[in-house]
Amino acid sequence: MVKAVETRDLVKRYEDVEAIKGITLEIEEGGIFGFLGPNGAGKSTTIKVLTTLLRKTSGSVTIEGYDIDKDAREIRKVIGVQSQETILDGDLTGRENLTLQGHLQRLHGNALKKRVDELLTLVELSDVADKRAAHYSGGMKKRLDLASTLVHKPRVLFLDEPTSGLDPQSRVAIWEHLETLNRDEGVTIFLTTQQMEEADRLCHRLSIIDHGEIVVSGSPVELKHQLGGDTITLSLANGDSDGAKDRSKRIVSGVQGVTKVLDIETGLAAYAKNASALVPDIVRLFDENGIRLTSISVASASLDDVFLQHTGRRIRSEELSKVDTWKRHV
Amino acid sequence: MDHDFLFDVWHLFVRALKKTIRTPIVIISALALPVLFLVLFTQIFTQFGNLPGFPAGGYVQFAVAGVIVMNPLMDSGGAGEAVVDDINSGFLSKVLVTPANRTAIVLGRLLHDMVMVLLPVSITLALAYALGATVITGAPGILLILFTAAFFGLAMSGLAMAIGVRTKSSQAVAGLDLVIAFPLMFVSTALVPYGFLPHWAQAFSNVNPFSYVVNAVRVLMSTGFVWSTILAAYAVIAVFAAVTIGATLYQFRSVER
Ligand SMILES: Nc1ncnc2c1ncn2[C@@H]1O[C@H](COP(=O)(O)OP(=O)(O)O)[C@@H](O)[C@H]1O
Ligand SMILES: [Mg+2]
Repeated sequence: MVKAVETRDLVKRYEDVEAIKGITLEIEEGGIFGFLGPNGAGKSTTIKVLTTLLRKTSGSVTIEGYDIDKDAREIRKVIGVQSQETILDGDLTGRENLTLQGHLQRLHGNALKKRVDELLTLVELSDVADKRAAHYSGGMKKRLDLASTLVHKPRVLFLDEPTSGLDPQSRVAIWEHLETLNRDEGVTIFLTTQQMEEADRLCHRLSIIDHGEIVVSGSPVELKHQLGGDTITLSLANGDSDGAKDRSKRIVSGVQGVTKVLDIETGLAAYAKNASALVPDIVRLFDENGIRLTSISVASASLDDVFLQHTGRRIRSEELSKVDTWKRHV
Repeated sequence: MDHDFLFDVWHLFVRALKKTIRTPIVIISALALPVLFLVLFTQIFTQFGNLPGFPAGGYVQFAVAGVIVMNPLMDSGGAGEAVVDDINSGFLSKVLVTPANRTAIVLGRLLHDMVMVLLPVSITLALAYALGATVITGAPGILLILFTAAFFGLAMSGLAMAIGVRTKSSQAVAGLDLVIAFPLMFVSTALVPYGFLPHWAQAFSNVNPFSYVVNAVRVLMSTGFVWSTILAAYAVIAVFAAVTIGATLYQFRSVER
Protein backbone atom coordinates (compact mmCIF):
# COMPACT_ATOMS: atom_id res chain seq x y z
CA MET A 1 0.00 0.00 0.00
CA VAL A 2 1.17 3.48 -0.79
CA LYS A 3 2.41 5.53 2.14
CA ALA A 4 1.02 9.02 2.69
CA VAL A 5 4.50 10.31 3.50
CA GLU A 6 7.82 8.55 3.23
CA THR A 7 11.20 10.15 3.83
CA ARG A 8 14.65 8.68 3.99
CA ASP A 9 17.63 10.47 5.58
CA LEU A 10 16.06 13.83 4.87
CA VAL A 11 18.46 16.71 5.48
CA LYS A 12 17.85 20.44 5.16
CA ARG A 13 20.68 22.86 5.68
CA TYR A 14 20.27 26.62 5.69
CA GLU A 15 23.48 28.58 5.09
CA ASP A 16 24.79 28.09 8.60
CA VAL A 17 22.32 25.81 10.37
CA GLU A 18 21.47 22.19 9.73
CA ALA A 19 17.78 22.44 10.57
CA ILE A 20 16.93 18.79 9.91
CA LYS A 21 19.57 16.16 10.22
CA GLY A 22 18.51 12.94 8.57
CA ILE A 23 14.84 12.29 9.19
CA THR A 24 13.39 8.95 8.16
CA LEU A 25 9.63 8.64 8.37
CA GLU A 26 6.85 6.39 7.17
CA ILE A 27 3.31 7.60 7.59
CA GLU A 28 0.41 5.33 6.74
CA GLU A 29 -2.64 6.71 4.98
CA GLY A 30 -5.66 7.53 7.07
CA GLY A 31 -4.11 8.44 10.39
CA ILE A 32 -3.25 11.55 12.30
CA PHE A 33 0.49 11.84 12.69
CA GLY A 34 2.19 14.42 14.88
CA PHE A 35 5.57 16.06 15.17
CA LEU A 36 5.98 17.15 18.76
CA GLY A 37 8.93 19.33 19.60
CA PRO A 38 10.04 22.65 21.05
CA ASN A 39 10.70 25.89 19.19
CA GLY A 40 13.50 25.55 16.67
CA ALA A 41 13.31 21.76 16.56
CA GLY A 42 12.89 21.76 12.78
CA LYS A 43 9.13 21.21 12.52
CA SER A 44 8.33 24.04 10.12
CA THR A 45 11.38 23.29 8.02
CA THR A 46 10.24 19.68 7.64
CA ILE A 47 6.74 20.76 6.61
CA LYS A 48 8.10 23.24 4.07
CA VAL A 49 10.33 20.61 2.53
CA LEU A 50 7.56 18.01 2.40
CA THR A 51 5.14 20.46 0.80
CA THR A 52 7.55 21.46 -2.01
CA LEU A 53 8.13 24.97 -0.66
CA LEU A 54 11.77 24.46 0.29
CA ARG A 55 14.35 22.38 -1.51
CA LYS A 56 15.86 19.61 0.54
CA THR A 57 19.62 19.36 0.85
CA SER A 58 19.68 15.58 0.58
CA GLY A 59 17.64 12.46 1.18
CA SER A 60 14.41 11.36 -0.46
CA VAL A 61 10.74 12.25 -0.08
CA THR A 62 7.64 10.68 -1.54
CA ILE A 63 4.12 11.90 -0.86
CA GLU A 64 1.27 9.56 -1.82
CA GLY A 65 3.82 7.68 -3.89
CA TYR A 66 4.97 10.75 -5.85
CA ASP A 67 8.67 11.56 -5.76
CA ILE A 68 9.20 15.17 -4.76
CA ASP A 69 12.06 15.67 -7.23
CA LYS A 70 10.08 14.46 -10.22
CA ASP A 71 6.42 15.02 -9.42
CA ALA A 72 6.16 18.15 -7.30
CA ARG A 73 3.21 19.25 -9.40
CA GLU A 74 1.28 16.04 -8.71
CA ILE A 75 2.05 16.36 -5.02
CA ARG A 76 0.58 19.86 -4.96
CA LYS A 77 -2.70 18.48 -6.25
CA VAL A 78 -3.14 16.01 -3.42
CA ILE A 79 -1.93 17.99 -0.42
CA GLY A 80 -3.38 20.80 1.64
CA VAL A 81 -1.01 23.01 3.60
CA GLN A 82 -1.61 25.33 6.51
CA SER A 83 1.53 27.14 7.54
CA GLN A 84 2.35 28.31 11.02
CA GLU A 85 1.36 31.91 10.28
CA THR A 86 -2.25 32.38 9.28
CA ILE A 87 -2.25 33.31 5.62
CA LEU A 88 -5.22 34.98 3.97
CA ASP A 89 -5.85 37.82 1.59
CA GLY A 90 -7.39 40.39 3.89
CA ASP A 91 -8.71 42.43 0.96
CA LEU A 92 -10.83 39.50 -0.18
CA THR A 93 -13.90 38.17 1.61
CA GLY A 94 -13.91 34.78 3.26
CA ARG A 95 -15.83 33.34 0.34
CA GLU A 96 -13.46 34.89 -2.19
CA ASN A 97 -10.45 33.48 -0.37
CA LEU A 98 -11.86 29.98 -0.58
CA THR A 99 -12.99 30.40 -4.17
CA LEU A 100 -9.57 31.62 -5.30
CA GLN A 101 -7.94 28.67 -3.60
CA GLY A 102 -10.38 26.41 -5.42
CA HIS A 103 -9.58 28.06 -8.76
CA LEU A 104 -5.88 27.53 -8.21
CA GLN A 105 -6.70 23.87 -7.67
CA ARG A 106 -8.53 24.00 -11.02
CA LEU A 107 -12.05 23.70 -9.64
CA HIS A 108 -14.83 25.82 -11.05
CA GLY A 109 -18.52 26.34 -11.62
CA ASN A 110 -21.26 25.02 -9.42
CA ALA A 111 -19.16 22.25 -7.94
CA LEU A 112 -16.77 24.84 -6.55
CA LYS A 113 -19.57 27.08 -5.34
CA LYS A 114 -21.11 24.15 -3.50
CA ARG A 115 -17.81 23.10 -1.99
CA VAL A 116 -17.14 26.63 -0.75
CA ASP A 117 -20.57 26.84 0.89
CA GLU A 118 -20.02 23.46 2.47
CA LEU A 119 -16.69 24.55 3.94
CA LEU A 120 -18.05 27.86 5.18
CA THR A 121 -20.68 25.90 7.05
CA LEU A 122 -18.14 23.41 8.36
CA VAL A 123 -15.94 26.12 9.88
CA GLU A 124 -18.96 28.16 10.96
CA LEU A 125 -18.23 31.24 8.91
CA SER A 126 -21.33 31.33 6.71
CA ASP A 127 -22.62 34.45 8.46
CA VAL A 128 -19.51 36.48 7.71
CA ALA A 129 -18.63 34.85 4.39
CA ASP A 130 -19.03 38.10 2.47
CA LYS A 131 -17.06 40.30 4.83
CA ARG A 132 -13.41 41.03 4.19
CA ALA A 133 -11.13 38.56 5.92
CA ALA A 134 -9.06 41.43 7.35
CA HIS A 135 -11.93 42.12 9.76
CA TYR A 136 -12.11 38.55 11.13
CA SER A 137 -10.97 37.65 14.64
CA GLY A 138 -7.89 35.47 15.15
CA GLY A 139 -9.92 32.30 15.60
CA MET A 140 -12.05 33.03 12.55
CA LYS A 141 -8.97 33.65 10.43
CA LYS A 142 -7.44 30.39 11.54
CA ARG A 143 -10.63 28.54 10.66
CA LEU A 144 -10.85 30.20 7.26
CA ASP A 145 -7.21 29.34 6.64
CA LEU A 146 -7.93 25.73 7.52
CA ALA A 147 -10.96 25.69 5.22
CA SER A 148 -8.87 27.14 2.38
CA THR A 149 -6.56 24.13 2.57
CA LEU A 150 -9.51 21.77 2.16
CA VAL A 151 -11.26 23.10 -0.93
CA HIS A 152 -9.84 20.45 -3.27
CA LYS A 153 -10.34 17.58 -0.79
CA PRO A 154 -6.66 16.88 -0.28
CA ARG A 155 -5.60 13.37 0.62
CA VAL A 156 -2.86 14.57 2.95
CA LEU A 157 -3.18 17.65 5.09
CA PHE A 158 -0.08 19.33 6.51
CA LEU A 159 -0.75 21.60 9.47
CA ASP A 160 2.04 23.57 11.10
CA GLU A 161 0.98 24.34 14.68
CA PRO A 162 -2.69 24.61 13.75
CA THR A 163 -3.83 25.95 17.11
CA SER A 164 -0.90 28.00 18.36
CA GLY A 165 -1.99 31.34 19.73
CA LEU A 166 -5.67 30.40 19.92
CA ASP A 167 -7.89 30.66 22.95
CA PRO A 168 -8.91 27.30 24.48
CA GLN A 169 -12.37 27.39 22.96
CA SER A 170 -11.17 27.97 19.40
CA ARG A 171 -8.53 25.34 19.92
CA VAL A 172 -11.08 22.71 20.82
CA ALA A 173 -13.19 23.74 17.81
CA ILE A 174 -10.22 23.15 15.48
CA TRP A 175 -9.49 19.81 17.13
CA GLU A 176 -13.04 18.72 16.50
CA HIS A 177 -12.87 19.78 12.84
CA LEU A 178 -9.66 17.82 12.37
CA GLU A 179 -11.07 14.71 14.00
CA THR A 180 -14.17 14.89 11.83
CA LEU A 181 -12.11 15.33 8.67
CA ASN A 182 -9.92 12.40 9.53
CA ARG A 183 -12.74 10.13 10.58
CA ASP A 184 -15.41 10.98 8.00
CA GLU A 185 -13.33 11.85 4.95
CA GLY A 186 -10.28 9.71 5.61
CA VAL A 187 -7.87 12.61 5.22
CA THR A 188 -4.37 11.79 6.43
CA ILE A 189 -3.17 14.55 8.74
CA PHE A 190 0.43 15.49 9.46
CA LEU A 191 0.55 18.14 12.14
CA THR A 192 3.24 19.77 14.21
CA THR A 193 2.76 21.02 17.73
CA GLN A 194 4.48 22.16 20.88
CA GLN A 195 1.50 21.20 23.02
CA MET A 196 1.31 17.84 24.77
CA GLU A 197 -2.48 17.97 25.12
CA GLU A 198 -2.84 18.47 21.41
CA ALA A 199 -0.50 15.63 20.51
CA ASP A 200 -2.08 13.41 23.13
CA ARG A 201 -5.62 14.05 22.04
CA LEU A 202 -5.27 14.05 18.27
CA CYS A 203 -2.35 11.91 17.19
CA HIS A 204 -2.57 8.22 16.49
CA ARG A 205 1.18 8.18 16.11
CA LEU A 206 3.78 10.79 16.77
CA SER A 207 7.47 11.47 16.65
CA ILE A 208 9.22 13.63 19.14
CA ILE A 209 11.68 15.89 17.37
CA ASP A 210 14.51 17.87 18.89
CA HIS A 211 17.45 19.68 17.26
CA GLY A 212 16.43 18.40 13.84
CA GLU A 213 16.33 14.74 14.79
CA ILE A 214 13.62 12.28 15.68
CA VAL A 215 14.15 11.27 19.26
CA VAL A 216 11.46 8.63 19.59
CA SER A 217 8.28 7.56 17.79
CA GLY A 218 5.15 5.68 18.74
CA SER A 219 1.55 6.15 19.76
CA PRO A 220 1.02 8.50 22.71
CA VAL A 221 -0.05 5.56 24.85
CA GLU A 222 2.98 3.47 23.90
CA LEU A 223 5.35 6.30 24.56
CA LYS A 224 3.95 7.03 27.99
CA HIS A 225 3.83 3.35 28.72
CA GLN A 226 7.54 2.96 28.09
CA LEU A 227 8.13 5.21 31.07
CA GLY A 228 6.44 2.64 33.25
CA GLY A 229 3.33 4.41 34.42
CA ASP A 230 3.04 7.43 36.68
CA THR A 231 5.44 10.23 37.50
CA ILE A 232 6.55 10.98 41.03
CA THR A 233 8.01 14.45 41.25
CA LEU A 234 10.23 15.20 44.26
CA SER A 235 11.51 18.64 45.22
CA LEU A 236 14.53 18.78 47.48
CA ALA A 237 14.52 21.44 50.20
CA ASN A 238 18.24 22.12 50.00
CA GLY A 239 18.75 21.57 46.32
CA ASP A 240 21.89 19.67 45.46
CA SER A 241 23.91 20.60 48.58
CA ASP A 242 26.13 17.80 49.96
CA GLY A 243 25.38 15.65 46.94
CA ALA A 244 21.80 15.37 48.11
CA LYS A 245 20.61 14.78 44.59
CA ASP A 246 22.87 11.81 44.00
CA ARG A 247 21.97 10.25 47.33
CA SER A 248 18.29 10.83 46.68
CA LYS A 249 18.61 9.27 43.26
CA ARG A 250 20.14 6.15 44.80
CA ILE A 251 17.39 5.96 47.38
CA VAL A 252 14.55 6.34 44.88
CA SER A 253 16.10 3.94 42.36
CA GLY A 254 16.20 1.31 45.12
CA VAL A 255 12.49 1.49 45.78
CA GLN A 256 10.67 -1.58 44.49
CA GLY A 257 8.60 -0.69 41.40
CA VAL A 258 10.51 2.41 40.29
CA THR A 259 11.55 1.98 36.65
CA LYS A 260 13.46 5.17 35.99
CA VAL A 261 14.74 8.26 37.81
CA LEU A 262 15.59 11.50 36.04
CA ASP A 263 17.16 14.79 37.17
CA ILE A 264 14.97 17.83 36.89
CA GLU A 265 15.74 21.37 37.95
CA THR A 266 14.09 21.29 41.32
CA GLY A 267 14.82 17.70 42.19
CA LEU A 268 13.94 14.35 40.69
CA ALA A 269 11.28 12.72 38.55
CA ALA A 270 10.69 9.01 39.10
CA TYR A 271 8.51 6.67 37.09
CA ALA A 272 6.59 3.74 38.51
CA LYS A 273 3.41 1.79 38.09
CA ASN A 274 1.03 2.37 40.92
CA ALA A 275 3.11 5.29 42.12
CA SER A 276 0.78 6.54 44.86
CA ALA A 277 1.34 3.36 46.83
CA LEU A 278 5.09 4.04 46.89
CA VAL A 279 4.87 7.56 48.31
CA PRO A 280 4.79 6.57 52.01
CA ASP A 281 7.85 4.36 51.52
CA ILE A 282 9.77 7.08 49.75
CA VAL A 283 8.92 9.67 52.39
CA ARG A 284 10.05 7.29 55.14
CA LEU A 285 13.36 6.56 53.36
CA PHE A 286 14.10 10.25 52.95
CA ASP A 287 13.37 10.82 56.64
CA GLU A 288 15.71 8.05 57.64
CA ASN A 289 18.49 9.50 55.46
CA GLY A 290 17.92 13.03 56.70
CA ILE A 291 17.15 14.57 53.31
CA ARG A 292 14.40 17.16 53.48
CA LEU A 293 11.68 17.27 50.83
CA THR A 294 9.59 20.35 50.09
CA SER A 295 7.07 18.42 48.09
CA ILE A 296 6.25 15.10 46.55
CA SER A 297 3.52 14.70 43.97
CA VAL A 298 2.13 12.00 41.74
CA ALA A 299 0.67 12.40 38.26
CA SER A 300 0.13 10.12 35.32
CA ALA A 301 3.04 10.32 32.91
CA SER A 302 2.61 12.87 30.11
CA LEU A 303 4.29 13.30 26.76
CA ASP A 304 6.33 15.98 28.44
CA ASP A 305 7.81 13.26 30.62
CA VAL A 306 8.62 11.29 27.50
CA PHE A 307 10.38 14.32 26.09
CA LEU A 308 12.22 14.82 29.35
CA GLN A 309 13.37 11.24 29.40
CA HIS A 310 14.84 11.46 25.92
CA THR A 311 16.28 14.95 25.92
CA GLY A 312 16.83 15.82 29.56
CA ARG A 313 14.71 18.95 29.11
CA ARG A 314 11.07 19.80 29.41
CA ILE A 315 9.34 20.85 26.21
CA ARG A 316 7.07 23.14 28.11
CA SER A 317 9.50 25.56 29.63
CA GLU A 318 8.94 28.24 27.03
CA GLU A 319 11.65 30.41 28.42
CA LEU A 320 14.20 27.66 28.34
CA SER A 321 13.50 26.79 24.75
CA LYS A 322 13.68 30.45 23.78
CA VAL A 323 17.07 30.85 25.38
CA ASP A 324 18.06 27.66 23.69
CA THR A 325 17.16 28.72 20.17
CA TRP A 326 18.68 32.09 20.80
CA LYS A 327 21.95 30.49 21.81
CA ARG A 328 22.04 28.48 18.65
CA HIS A 329 21.46 31.61 16.61
CA VAL A 330 24.45 33.39 18.09
CA MET B 1 -1.35 27.58 -24.62
CA ASP B 2 -3.00 25.24 -22.25
CA HIS B 3 -6.30 25.89 -20.65
CA ASP B 4 -5.11 25.58 -17.04
CA PHE B 5 -2.48 28.21 -17.67
CA LEU B 6 -4.99 30.78 -18.92
CA PHE B 7 -7.34 29.85 -16.09
CA ASP B 8 -4.61 30.60 -13.53
CA VAL B 9 -3.66 33.89 -15.18
CA TRP B 10 -7.29 34.96 -15.26
CA HIS B 11 -8.06 34.22 -11.61
CA LEU B 12 -4.89 35.81 -10.31
CA PHE B 13 -5.60 38.81 -12.53
CA VAL B 14 -9.08 39.11 -11.05
CA ARG B 15 -7.66 38.87 -7.55
CA ALA B 16 -5.17 41.69 -8.23
CA LEU B 17 -7.92 43.80 -9.77
CA LYS B 18 -10.21 43.33 -6.77
CA LYS B 19 -7.45 44.36 -4.40
CA THR B 20 -6.77 47.52 -6.38
CA ILE B 21 -10.42 48.47 -6.70
CA ARG B 22 -10.84 48.05 -2.96
CA THR B 23 -7.97 50.46 -2.32
CA PRO B 24 -9.04 53.23 -4.71
CA ILE B 25 -6.35 55.69 -3.58
CA VAL B 26 -3.95 53.75 -5.83
CA ILE B 27 -6.09 54.50 -8.86
CA ILE B 28 -6.56 58.13 -7.95
CA SER B 29 -2.86 58.85 -7.67
CA ALA B 30 -2.19 56.97 -10.90
CA LEU B 31 -4.71 59.25 -12.62
CA ALA B 32 -3.41 62.46 -11.07
CA LEU B 33 0.16 61.93 -12.18
CA PRO B 34 -0.22 62.23 -15.97
CA VAL B 35 -2.48 65.26 -15.58
CA LEU B 36 0.17 66.89 -13.45
CA PHE B 37 2.98 65.95 -15.81
CA LEU B 38 1.21 67.00 -18.96
CA VAL B 39 0.13 70.38 -17.58
CA LEU B 40 3.48 71.12 -15.94
CA PHE B 41 5.73 70.03 -18.78
CA THR B 42 3.71 71.71 -21.47
CA GLN B 43 3.53 74.93 -19.45
CA ILE B 44 7.20 75.03 -18.52
CA PHE B 45 8.69 73.88 -21.81
CA THR B 46 6.19 75.34 -24.22
CA GLN B 47 8.68 77.87 -25.68
CA PHE B 48 10.85 74.94 -26.85
CA GLY B 49 8.30 74.35 -29.56
CA ASN B 50 9.34 77.62 -31.20
CA LEU B 51 13.04 76.79 -31.39
CA PRO B 52 14.47 76.30 -34.86
CA GLY B 53 14.74 72.60 -35.71
CA PHE B 54 11.89 71.60 -33.37
CA PRO B 55 9.45 69.16 -34.99
CA ALA B 56 6.36 70.79 -36.41
CA GLY B 57 3.16 70.74 -34.37
CA GLY B 58 4.34 72.48 -31.23
CA TYR B 59 5.46 71.27 -27.84
CA VAL B 60 2.22 69.65 -26.67
CA GLN B 61 1.96 67.50 -29.77
CA PHE B 62 5.57 66.49 -29.20
CA ALA B 63 5.52 65.83 -25.46
CA VAL B 64 2.28 63.83 -25.23
CA ALA B 65 4.09 60.69 -26.37
CA GLY B 66 6.62 61.14 -23.56
CA VAL B 67 3.94 61.59 -20.92
CA ILE B 68 1.95 58.62 -22.21
CA VAL B 69 4.94 56.32 -21.86
CA MET B 70 5.75 57.72 -18.41
CA ASN B 71 2.56 56.11 -17.09
CA PRO B 72 3.67 52.48 -17.30
CA LEU B 73 7.00 53.53 -15.87
CA MET B 74 5.62 55.48 -12.91
CA ASP B 75 2.91 52.93 -12.11
CA SER B 76 5.16 49.89 -12.26
CA GLY B 77 6.15 50.03 -8.58
CA GLY B 78 2.77 48.63 -7.57
CA ALA B 79 3.62 45.22 -8.99
CA GLY B 80 6.83 45.12 -6.98
CA GLU B 81 5.13 46.22 -3.78
CA ALA B 82 2.33 43.71 -4.30
CA VAL B 83 4.74 40.81 -4.65
CA VAL B 84 6.68 41.95 -1.58
CA ASP B 85 3.40 42.00 0.36
CA ASP B 86 2.55 38.55 -0.89
CA ILE B 87 5.94 37.22 0.12
CA ASN B 88 5.88 38.77 3.57
CA SER B 89 2.29 37.79 4.32
CA GLY B 90 3.02 34.26 3.09
CA PHE B 91 0.34 34.50 0.42
CA LEU B 92 2.82 33.73 -2.34
CA SER B 93 3.87 30.56 -0.52
CA LYS B 94 0.25 29.61 -0.24
CA VAL B 95 -0.11 29.97 -3.99
CA LEU B 96 3.16 28.14 -4.61
CA VAL B 97 1.91 25.01 -2.80
CA THR B 98 -1.00 24.77 -5.22
CA PRO B 99 -0.55 23.36 -8.74
CA ALA B 100 -0.89 26.91 -10.12
CA ASN B 101 1.47 27.57 -13.00
CA ARG B 102 4.47 29.67 -11.88
CA THR B 103 4.53 31.82 -14.98
CA ALA B 104 0.81 32.42 -14.60
CA ILE B 105 1.38 33.74 -11.08
CA VAL B 106 3.61 36.47 -12.51
CA LEU B 107 1.50 37.14 -15.58
CA GLY B 108 -1.71 37.41 -13.56
CA ARG B 109 -0.33 40.44 -11.78
CA LEU B 110 1.32 41.88 -14.88
CA LEU B 111 -1.91 41.61 -16.85
CA HIS B 112 -3.49 43.69 -14.09
CA ASP B 113 -0.84 46.36 -14.59
CA MET B 114 -1.30 46.29 -18.35
CA VAL B 115 -5.03 46.86 -17.99
CA MET B 116 -4.80 49.43 -15.21
CA VAL B 117 -2.28 51.57 -17.06
CA LEU B 118 -4.86 52.10 -19.79
CA LEU B 119 -6.76 54.41 -17.44
CA PRO B 120 -4.07 57.08 -17.00
CA VAL B 121 -2.98 56.67 -20.64
CA SER B 122 -6.53 57.34 -21.81
CA ILE B 123 -6.74 60.36 -19.53
CA THR B 124 -3.47 61.62 -20.96
CA LEU B 125 -4.75 61.25 -24.51
CA ALA B 126 -8.03 62.97 -23.69
CA LEU B 127 -6.33 65.85 -21.96
CA ALA B 128 -3.81 66.17 -24.80
CA TYR B 129 -6.70 66.37 -27.23
CA ALA B 130 -8.21 69.15 -25.13
CA LEU B 131 -4.85 70.95 -25.27
CA GLY B 132 -4.87 70.75 -29.06
CA ALA B 133 -2.87 67.60 -29.81
CA THR B 134 -4.07 65.16 -32.47
CA VAL B 135 -3.45 61.55 -33.41
CA ILE B 136 -2.74 61.47 -37.11
CA THR B 137 -3.33 57.72 -37.42
CA GLY B 138 -6.90 57.98 -36.09
CA ALA B 139 -8.74 55.32 -34.14
CA PRO B 140 -6.52 52.38 -35.18
CA GLY B 141 -3.51 54.44 -34.15
CA ILE B 142 -5.07 55.19 -30.77
CA LEU B 143 -5.64 51.49 -30.18
CA LEU B 144 -2.05 50.78 -31.11
CA ILE B 145 -0.86 53.51 -28.73
CA LEU B 146 -2.86 51.94 -25.90
CA PHE B 147 -1.42 48.55 -26.73
CA THR B 148 2.13 49.91 -26.86
CA ALA B 149 1.81 51.55 -23.45
CA ALA B 150 0.33 48.38 -21.94
CA PHE B 151 3.03 46.21 -23.50
CA PHE B 152 5.70 48.50 -22.05
CA GLY B 153 3.87 48.18 -18.71
CA LEU B 154 4.41 44.43 -18.88
CA ALA B 155 8.16 44.95 -19.07
CA MET B 156 8.39 47.73 -16.48
CA SER B 157 6.11 46.07 -13.93
CA GLY B 158 8.06 42.90 -14.58
CA LEU B 159 11.20 44.78 -13.59
CA ALA B 160 9.60 46.05 -10.38
CA MET B 161 8.44 42.53 -9.60
CA ALA B 162 11.91 41.11 -10.13
CA ILE B 163 13.31 43.73 -7.75
CA GLY B 164 10.56 42.93 -5.26
CA VAL B 165 11.19 39.19 -5.28
CA ARG B 166 14.93 39.79 -5.07
CA THR B 167 14.92 42.34 -2.22
CA LYS B 168 11.67 41.41 -0.43
CA SER B 169 11.43 45.08 0.54
CA SER B 170 8.87 47.70 -0.50
CA GLN B 171 11.31 50.50 0.19
CA ALA B 172 13.84 48.90 -2.12
CA VAL B 173 11.22 48.65 -4.84
CA ALA B 174 10.14 52.27 -4.43
CA GLY B 175 13.71 53.53 -4.19
CA LEU B 176 15.18 51.54 -7.06
CA ASP B 177 12.15 52.28 -9.17
CA LEU B 178 12.84 56.01 -8.93
CA VAL B 179 16.55 55.60 -9.47
CA ILE B 180 15.84 53.61 -12.61
CA ALA B 181 12.85 55.64 -13.79
CA PHE B 182 14.42 59.08 -13.73
CA PRO B 183 17.37 58.54 -16.07
CA LEU B 184 15.16 56.46 -18.35
CA MET B 185 12.59 59.25 -18.51
CA PHE B 186 14.80 62.29 -18.75
CA VAL B 187 17.80 61.01 -20.70
CA SER B 188 15.55 60.05 -23.55
CA THR B 189 13.54 61.54 -26.35
CA ALA B 190 10.50 61.87 -24.07
CA LEU B 191 10.61 65.62 -23.52
CA VAL B 192 13.37 66.80 -25.88
CA PRO B 193 13.97 65.91 -29.53
CA TYR B 194 16.95 63.65 -30.19
CA GLY B 195 18.88 66.40 -32.00
CA PHE B 196 18.64 68.67 -28.94
CA LEU B 197 20.25 66.14 -26.59
CA PRO B 198 23.95 66.46 -25.71
CA HIS B 199 26.15 63.73 -27.17
CA TRP B 200 26.41 61.59 -24.06
CA ALA B 201 22.64 61.71 -23.69
CA GLN B 202 22.18 60.72 -27.32
CA ALA B 203 24.42 57.73 -26.72
CA PHE B 204 22.36 56.72 -23.69
CA SER B 205 19.11 57.35 -25.52
CA ASN B 206 20.25 54.96 -28.26
CA VAL B 207 20.17 52.09 -25.79
CA ASN B 208 17.33 53.41 -23.63
CA PRO B 209 14.23 51.24 -24.08
CA PHE B 210 12.13 54.19 -22.99
CA SER B 211 13.20 56.19 -26.06
CA TYR B 212 12.23 53.36 -28.39
CA VAL B 213 8.76 53.21 -26.92
CA VAL B 214 8.32 56.99 -26.94
CA ASN B 215 9.43 57.12 -30.57
CA ALA B 216 6.87 54.49 -31.52
CA VAL B 217 4.03 56.36 -29.81
CA ARG B 218 5.25 59.63 -31.29
CA VAL B 219 5.20 58.41 -34.89
CA LEU B 220 1.70 57.09 -34.30
CA MET B 221 0.69 60.54 -33.01
CA SER B 222 2.42 62.71 -35.58
CA THR B 223 3.81 60.81 -38.57
CA GLY B 224 1.89 57.64 -39.42
CA PHE B 225 2.31 53.88 -39.23
CA VAL B 226 6.11 53.82 -39.45
CA TRP B 227 6.46 50.11 -38.87
CA SER B 228 10.23 50.08 -38.57
CA THR B 229 10.00 52.39 -35.54
CA ILE B 230 6.99 50.59 -34.06
CA LEU B 231 8.41 47.09 -34.43
CA ALA B 232 11.78 48.19 -33.09
CA ALA B 233 9.97 49.29 -29.93
CA TYR B 234 8.15 45.95 -29.66
CA ALA B 235 11.37 44.02 -30.08
CA VAL B 236 13.01 46.04 -27.31
CA ILE B 237 9.99 45.60 -25.01
CA ALA B 238 9.81 41.87 -25.70
CA VAL B 239 13.44 41.34 -24.75
CA PHE B 240 13.11 43.52 -21.67
CA ALA B 241 9.94 41.71 -20.56
CA ALA B 242 11.44 38.28 -21.13
CA VAL B 243 14.46 39.16 -19.00
CA THR B 244 12.51 40.69 -16.10
CA ILE B 245 9.84 37.98 -16.02
CA GLY B 246 12.51 35.31 -16.33
CA ALA B 247 14.42 36.84 -13.42
CA THR B 248 11.27 36.91 -11.29
CA LEU B 249 10.48 33.27 -12.01
CA TYR B 250 14.03 32.22 -11.36
CA GLN B 251 13.84 33.79 -7.92
CA PHE B 252 10.57 32.14 -6.97
CA ARG B 253 12.66 29.19 -5.85
CA SER B 254 14.06 31.28 -3.01
CA VAL B 255 10.82 32.85 -1.85
CA GLU B 256 10.99 30.98 1.45
CA ARG B 257 13.38 32.78 3.70
N1 LIG C 1 15.38 30.60 6.64
C1 LIG C 1 16.19 30.18 7.61
N2 LIG C 1 17.50 30.47 7.57
C2 LIG C 1 18.34 30.02 8.52
N3 LIG C 1 17.97 29.29 9.58
C3 LIG C 1 16.67 28.96 9.69
C4 LIG C 1 15.72 29.39 8.73
N4 LIG C 1 14.50 28.92 9.10
C5 LIG C 1 14.68 28.23 10.23
N5 LIG C 1 15.98 28.26 10.60
C6 LIG C 1 16.59 27.58 11.76
O1 LIG C 1 16.36 26.21 11.61
C7 LIG C 1 16.01 25.61 12.85
C8 LIG C 1 14.65 24.96 12.77
O2 LIG C 1 13.66 25.95 12.60
P1 LIG C 1 12.12 25.61 12.39
O3 LIG C 1 12.00 24.56 11.35
O4 LIG C 1 11.41 26.88 12.16
O5 LIG C 1 11.74 25.01 13.81
P2 LIG C 1 10.30 24.83 14.50
O6 LIG C 1 9.25 25.00 13.45
O7 LIG C 1 10.34 23.46 15.07
O8 LIG C 1 10.21 25.87 15.56
C9 LIG C 1 16.09 26.72 13.89
O9 LIG C 1 17.35 26.67 14.48
C10 LIG C 1 15.92 27.96 13.08
O10 LIG C 1 16.56 29.03 13.68
MG1 LIG D 1 7.69 26.30 13.43
